[in-house]
Amino acid sequence: MRSILFLGTASGAGKTTLDAVFCRYLVRKGIRAVPFKASNLSLNSFVTIDGKEIGMGQALQSWACGVEPSAHMNPVLLKPADGHRLQVILRGEPLLDVGPDRDYDRKMVMERACESYDILAEENDFVVCEGSGSPAELNLLSTDMANVGMMRARRVPSVLVADIERGGVFAAIYGTWKLIPDDVRPLLKGFLINRFRGDASLLDSGIEKIEELTGMKCIGVVPYENLRLPEEDSLSSSGGKIGKGDIRSGFIDNLDRMLEEAEAASVDFSMIEDMAEH
Amino acid sequence: MRSIVKKVAEEIERGNIGSNHECPYHPAHFTGQNCSFCYCPFYPCQDPDLGENIKSKHGGDIWSCSDCLFIHRNEVVEFIYRKIAELGLQAGDPRFQSEVLPEAKRRFWKRGRAVMVVGATSDAGKSVTVAALGRILHRKGYLVAPFKSQNMSLNSKVTVRGGEIAMIQVLQAQAMGLTVADLHMNPILIKPKGNTESQVMVEGKPFGDYDAVTYYSDFVENHGEAIVRRNIVWLKNRYDYVVMEGAGSPAEINIYDKDIANMRAARIADASCILVVNAEWGGAYAYACGTVDLLPPEDRKRVKGIIINNVRGDPSKMRSGADELERLTGIPVIGIIPHIEANLPSEDSEALRSKTRVGEGIIKIVVPRFPRLANFTDLDPMYGEDTTVVFAETPEEIRAADVIVLAGTKNSVKDLQWLKSNGMFEAIREMRGKVPIVGICGGYQMMGKVLHDPKGIEGGVPGDHECLGFFDNETSWEEYDKRVIRDHAVMIEGGGQVEGYEIHMGMSDVREKPLFRIVNVGREKETEGSVREDEMLFGTYLHGCFDKPAFRRYVLSFAKCGGKEVEFKPVEDYDEIVDRNLDILADGFQENLDMDAFMRIMEGKE
Repeated sequence: MRSILFLGTASGAGKTTLDAVFCRYLVRKGIRAVPFKASNLSLNSFVTIDGKEIGMGQALQSWACGVEPSAHMNPVLLKPADGHRLQVILRGEPLLDVGPDRDYDRKMVMERACESYDILAEENDFVVCEGSGSPAELNLLSTDMANVGMMRARRVPSVLVADIERGGVFAAIYGTWKLIPDDVRPLLKGFLINRFRGDASLLDSGIEKIEELTGMKCIGVVPYENLRLPEEDSLSSSGGKIGKGDIRSGFIDNLDRMLEEAEAASVDFSMIEDMAEH
Repeated sequence: MRSIVKKVAEEIERGNIGSNHECPYHPAHFTGQNCSFCYCPFYPCQDPDLGENIKSKHGGDIWSCSDCLFIHRNEVVEFIYRKIAELGLQAGDPRFQSEVLPEAKRRFWKRGRAVMVVGATSDAGKSVTVAALGRILHRKGYLVAPFKSQNMSLNSKVTVRGGEIAMIQVLQAQAMGLTVADLHMNPILIKPKGNTESQVMVEGKPFGDYDAVTYYSDFVENHGEAIVRRNIVWLKNRYDYVVMEGAGSPAEINIYDKDIANMRAARIADASCILVVNAEWGGAYAYACGTVDLLPPEDRKRVKGIIINNVRGDPSKMRSGADELERLTGIPVIGIIPHIEANLPSEDSEALRSKTRVGEGIIKIVVPRFPRLANFTDLDPMYGEDTTVVFAETPEEIRAADVIVLAGTKNSVKDLQWLKSNGMFEAIREMRGKVPIVGICGGYQMMGKVLHDPKGIEGGVPGDHECLGFFDNETSWEEYDKRVIRDHAVMIEGGGQVEGYEIHMGMSDVREKPLFRIVNVGREKETEGSVREDEMLFGTYLHGCFDKPAFRRYVLSFAKCGGKEVEFKPVEDYDEIVDRNLDILADGFQENLDMDAFMRIMEGKE
């Protein structure tokens, strides 16, 4: 069984997209892959054929894998309601609303999420997991599900996606590695630098230093891509690169183009395949 | 000299007058200055910490101490008056220089301390943190100056001495209660030219053009350190504190040795550092920890505090993680600052990039989004009016305008060609006489007949370029030269006040009725700008022309808006609005900052 967990150094680092690109890489090799995200905090949801509600990101990744989205792919969906309330969706069905006065049974919910993961792993060759936000939020580590939670529960090997656009990328990678709890740090196998513009050889000395300090391997430097996900595109009428016609096929074409561009820029996705053995 | 002695005698006669709010020049240096010795009894003191010899018009040396702040400190003035009484001094007494000044200096002069705000990323909130910390120190009665060794920005302003520095340091200076921003506060300004090269300004003057490679290999290597050092020293000699700002992240280990804007500048200034990290995107602890850890040990020691900035939601929820971060890095988290809604000028093009419109008011102001748009902070005062400011890229948007503003550009020739290539040029011509059209700087040049660029200085290739033809003016680039000057002016029609600054390379031959009359001392005969009121055409080189209400309201009064009712709020100078927002910002920091820890860092006790 193989699985990998895409973690990000921050929100918006590019996890969802690179996860989907990697799904395309696997599917094009004939590997049966499925996406998974233990828990999602989002208002953008998708309803599956059997009427279950999951996060939009996993629906997109599922299409990238060429399969129908299912509730197991995102067993926990937290939808912010008005004020301080959250609606908890478990395996596509509303469980309860939580707020300052009422919490949910995290242990039970996490167990269900892990069962979903096990079901997907059983039925497929490869589970491509996505984390949530940064895995190194020191104040939230104890309640984390999608990041350190899954690393602990199923020992899923992980790769870190870091966005270079705002700078500080080496600090972000090193700091995240350092702040991840000791028991799961060995699961961090590699990192990807995302959204780079310019001559990537300028980064070499920095990458070498990070590899030396952490033992993680650099999978590659992904060129800047103004890829918009359909969910964002629905909010604006122009500017996106999604093609005409079927929104899904347009999205998949974009992923394939991004995969080819990344491979042309020497991003080595086979390294992730190797890291995923466990 | 004799006239100075006479002036000094008059000053002494008047006694300790403190802040002279009656004086039209008040405060010439900083809020709260003591004006008693507008003319200095120590002149010429020849003390290199307080002034310098400059060349006079006739070639001789002349002692210049117009940037001296020492003589305007309350404690110094009070001390001098005590000595005058004690020793029975008259103006011109040699004991001012031989006795009073040395003792005053011994007692009250000390070189200031520098502290540097570095950020874990771009957009970490460094600039506003410098402004906020600076205002907090200013409120405590200190003399404080901002500093950023190197800034890449097309939003620049002109200092009193005619040098060009980044807009953001001018804003920070205002936060610190300084009336005049000084070119020492941003000695290196990089202005991208829209290709791979940038114009590098040093101490307010053009220095040369560099690309990314030659900038580091030639400029930084041969000039960078000396420039940073002499400007830091200059500021430390005059201010109690210099609050420095880094650039990007200080932990870019692939270019660490080349970086002159972060830890190398901190070393030159012997500054303690405060690391700011933006919590908005998550990963704040990791960014902070990684930044600290990747610094070489001798630089890491300089980092004395961490500020977690821009926290949405309840800041106290981040405290447990902050405690853990402190334990791991050994550096205290001195503040967890919530997101603060402060309305401050837009700093750079990054902020504009994602925006197509600002505001939801009645008057639709359409601004062509030049690819090399510069000094678009000129529009900021409009955001406070009943307006929608649209940054347009299509002729249709132009045709829907109530007011058109052609703003500044780093390259008039290339952005004129851009206007022509997308049909907006024709659309603007169609709007002539239908709506008010204002051109500022580059936009003003485009409103003339032609741009002459016989040497290709602006356009890259020699040539003449046909303009909108609204004015009979012609603009030429004959040699590589730049006009940089601050103007005080009044509107010829109505007399309303206008303040601004000119920064441009082409020179215009103006053949129109002027818009403004200059009132700067010694330039009273000059006029500026062009106007054809019957056609609602207005052009000026003055950046900042909308800051004061007179010209802004005048232009807006021509907007028809399809007959809709426009709501005009009571007028306010843009400066006052900015000042109020700087207070909101500083209050937000002060309430959420461990002030004792912060002051210990400032005093070098950490």
